[in-house]
Amino acid sequence: MSDGFTRQVVTFGRVLREAGMEVGAGRLADALHGLDRVDVTRQDDVYWTLRTTLVARREELEPFDRAFRAWFLSTPVSPPGRDQDPRTMPSGAQWTRSDARMRGDAPNADGEPDSVGYSAHEILRRKDFASMTHEEFAAARRLIADIECRRPRRRSRRLRPHSRGRTLDVRRLARGSLATGGDPVNRRFRRRAEMPRKLVVLCDVSGSMEAYTRAMLLFLHALMRAGRGVEVFAFGTRLTRLTPELVTRDPEEALRRAADRVVDWAAGTRIGVSLKAFNDVWGRRALTRGAVVLIVSDGWERHDPSLVGREMQRLHRAAFAVVWVNPLKGGRDYEPLAGGMRAALPFIDRFVTGHNLASLDELAGLLSGIERRHEA
Amino acid sequence: MNEAIEFSSIDDVEAALRAQSYLPERGLATSLFLSLAIGKPLLLEGEAGVGKTEAAKALAISLGARLIRLQCYEGLDVAHAVYEWNYARQLLHIRAAQEGSVSEEELFGPEFLIRRPLLEAIESTEPVVLLIDEIDRADDEFEAFLLEVLSDFQITIPEIGTIHAKRRPAVILTSNRTRELHDALKRRCLFHWITHPSLEREIEIVRLRVPGVSERLAAQAAAFVSGLRELDLNKPPGVAETIDWAHALAVLGCEELDPAVVEQTLGSVLKYREDFETVRDDTVLTLVQEARIAAAAAASVS
Repeated sequence: MSDGFTRQVVTFGRVLREAGMEVGAGRLADALHGLDRVDVTRQDDVYWTLRTTLVARREELEPFDRAFRAWFLSTPVSPPGRDQDPRTMPSGAQWTRSDARMRGDAPNADGEPDSVGYSAHEILRRKDFASMTHEEFAAARRLIADIECRRPRRRSRRLRPHSRGRTLDVRRLARGSLATGGDPVNRRFRRRAEMPRKLVVLCDVSGSMEAYTRAMLLFLHALMRAGRGVEVFAFGTRLTRLTPELVTRDPEEALRRAADRVVDWAAGTRIGVSLKAFNDVWGRRALTRGAVVLIVSDGWERHDPSLVGREMQRLHRAAFAVVWVNPLKGGRDYEPLAGGMRAALPFIDRFVTGHNLASLDELAGLLSGIERRHEA
Repeated sequence: MNEAIEFSSIDDVEAALRAQSYLPERGLATSLFLSLAIGKPLLLEGEAGVGKTEAAKALAISLGARLIRLQCYEGLDVAHAVYEWNYARQLLHIRAAQEGSVSEEELFGPEFLIRRPLLEAIESTEPVVLLIDEIDRADDEFEAFLLEVLSDFQITIPEIGTIHAKRRPAVILTSNRTRELHDALKRRCLFHWITHPSLEREIEIVRLRVPGVSERLAAQAAAFVSGLRELDLNKPPGVAETIDWAHALAVLGCEELDPAVVEQTLGSVLKYREDFETVRDDTVLTLVQEARIAAAAAASVS
């Protein structure tokens, strides 16, 4: 292979990295190695060779194709599929707390008195996230990280040594009986261990939910540190998977990027469509099966509430339990009147609030001991 | 590790698989070719029923290699994937020897070892295609273990030592993406995403795999199924379903699709009750008409 060609492939790798793909030296070496073995005058073979060596997951196929078109075929590239250029959006508009719906009867939606006996800490615990000042939220942020998060558990299929197990551990038995001339004197047992249960979170990141979603993501961030098996998705007008970003990035930064991607500020929340996208892509891959599904949303569907009902039913059937967190439920005279919320209610096992620190604490407790309520 | 099994070109792979009645798209053929040429495992992902497992089987036969398949499931552990000691035999052996004269080395020697698929693939002296099927179903612990096997092609048994591959097996992993795999594992693999085949390709597949199917029926069945995939179904049918269905139709002696026979046999294509509700009578009618047109168009092209 000519030097020029090698250089071109290496530069192409850099282009891919800029597009957000992980292209390490190992993959590039594979690509060059592979190109050595195929007929490089055949464009399709070059394409497939680069694709099979440089792409590691399905989500990368689209950026790869775009980069390949731009780099090797020199056709003009259309910007990624978005309705709106991010640069034309009012900068930072989505992060100011100006949404009238959210403010509602705030500040101090709980009407918690600043009376003697409540420490400052306790006041903060009861304060609605939406009515917190910047400083208060910063303090809350630290408290959220301290919430003790235990994941829901399930019995694993994997057997582990256990003194009170029921299944004979023949491996240990045979080894132990060496000393006693083949007589199994000390019996050993195994039993099924407890494992964390899958937790799937669908977070509404539309403007009305901003303050709550921020708090919730901080909470989830802490939960994810407790191990694998937590999948987080964000939705507004569209759905996007947030898990990798939450693992590697600061949660607030991850939220900002997600909101950029899925929220079309003019179109309103589309819960039904987002749930459908989740069921179609991830539900079909059995992500929902046996999982605890946590939906964080105010239930304001601007479109067809019946779709919300239909998709909730699908979700509910596969899930172990469905928990809906609606921060507006914290308001005293809240009734689930939003059309989407009403359609979803029959398919919810637990309906909780998540509007302040105390309620997040409760949520953490609920998740760690959740049991199946509905029939499979 | 010598004379690795491989093909001389992508065209070779295509021809060899075709001879096994498996028609790969160019991309899959390229991936298989490179996987063998570079000596890296290939991770195949795609919807259920697009032929991931079949690809491995066809590859094994066309290479004249033995296919060793490890079906993954939750809770799969080393004892079922790699090796297990034959405890019953060990206990009997200790008993037979009496007087405690059995040494540990004797007891944990190769004759007491039960070889499971991974060890078998590593130890084999003949060419082997190792198929690790539905890796996403196994749990994290197993995936971590697999890393050692796939990067060094060696297995360590504490009582015996490290066993190196006599010849590197061709390795194919499949995943339905019920969960995301570890990056470390992905880094060790080439990757290919299999899609549903094009209509022309699918017609060809049906004709190749279903004996006694008429050309027209094959085309119409393939077109009908590809129409179904456009609908909003819980589980869009894969190529496997098309083949099953065409088979059923051929057995029933159909020469051509009609709505009545479709209603009778739709059970081999759709697997969910909701999907049957989505595909109502009038949908079937429309799809049959469209399939006839598409099939006729495909026939006039070829």
